[in-house]
Amino acid sequence: MAEKLRALTEVDRLVHEPARLLLLTILNTVASADFLFLQRETGLTKGNLSAHLSRLEAAGYVEIEKTFKGKLPLTVCKLTTKGKKALTGYRQQLQDFIQKTSEA
Amino acid sequence: MENNLLHVEQRIKRYWYTDGIGELIGGGMFILLGGYFALQEFLGQNSIISAILQVSLIVVLIGGMALGRWLIHTLKAQLTYPRTGYVEYEVDAHRMKSRRIWVMMLAFAISALTMVFVRLFQAFDSIVAVTGVAVGLILVILRAKSAGLTRFYVLGAVSIVLGLALSVSGLPNGYSLGLFYGLMGLSFMLSGGLTLQRYLEENPLPRDAEQ
Repeated sequence: MAEKLRALTEVDRLVHEPARLLLLTILNTVASADFLFLQRETGLTKGNLSAHLSRLEAAGYVEIEKTFKGKLPLTVCKLTTKGKKALTGYRQQLQDFIQKTSEA
Repeated sequence: MENNLLHVEQRIKRYWYTDGIGELIGGGMFILLGGYFALQEFLGQNSIISAILQVSLIVVLIGGMALGRWLIHTLKAQLTYPRTGYVEYEVDAHRMKSRRIWVMMLAFAISALTMVFVRLFQAFDSIVAVTGVAVGLILVILRAKSAGLTRFYVLGAVSIVLGLALSVSGLPNGYSLGLFYGLMGLSFMLSGGLTLQRYLEENPLPRDAEQ
């Protein structure tokens, strides 16, 4: 049983943080989303959101691009293939953990 | 936790409809289509202009959809993106190409059916009933299921009831179809307009536009 519980410590901590998990989940649902949309959906402050996005970008999970939609400047975020794999892997790990501990 | 994440995903997918702009523009397109059918009826079967209008229906439909898509994106860039942000949805390129082919085939089928019924069978009234049910079931209720929004179920019901009611109204050929599209267009515009009004009231422009 202890070994099954210990499996939880092996999850990707970058994904495991609630705000980043929410960000990755949102970005997994869309092709891309801008900073304002992510801020409103997560309820994070600008500084907090920037910090989390920077960490995800540094890990290669998210791509950030400053662009224009017509005349409107946008900071657009997109989930990378690596980020998608990390999120899928994390969700699978949690499902396995829940299944194993409920069998016990 | 998995349920919470699924709830987040559903809410994100619903974001496209949050401003009502799609319904507003779609409603306008429906009204124009209604005017098209009513004009055909007014001009009569022997009119050269009416014949030209009939063969150009497919151009009208495809052109209308392209114009509608441009208007929706332009209005969203002006009203929605500065207020609540920009989202681009995943598009499967292969699926999009298939979907465009199906839409073109549907447009062609509607054109051909309309011409056949008007010219050969004079059974124009059944067109309104079929159209009402088709719009209700295929276009609106499927949308309602994917978006999970009550107003689309209501619009679907309105479409079916309107189509069936107009098919037994005894109105002259063409006017019943024109009236169907016109009234459905107004319904869409009312729904979209009220949704947009509420959206603008609940989401003022942020003071700080800098990100």
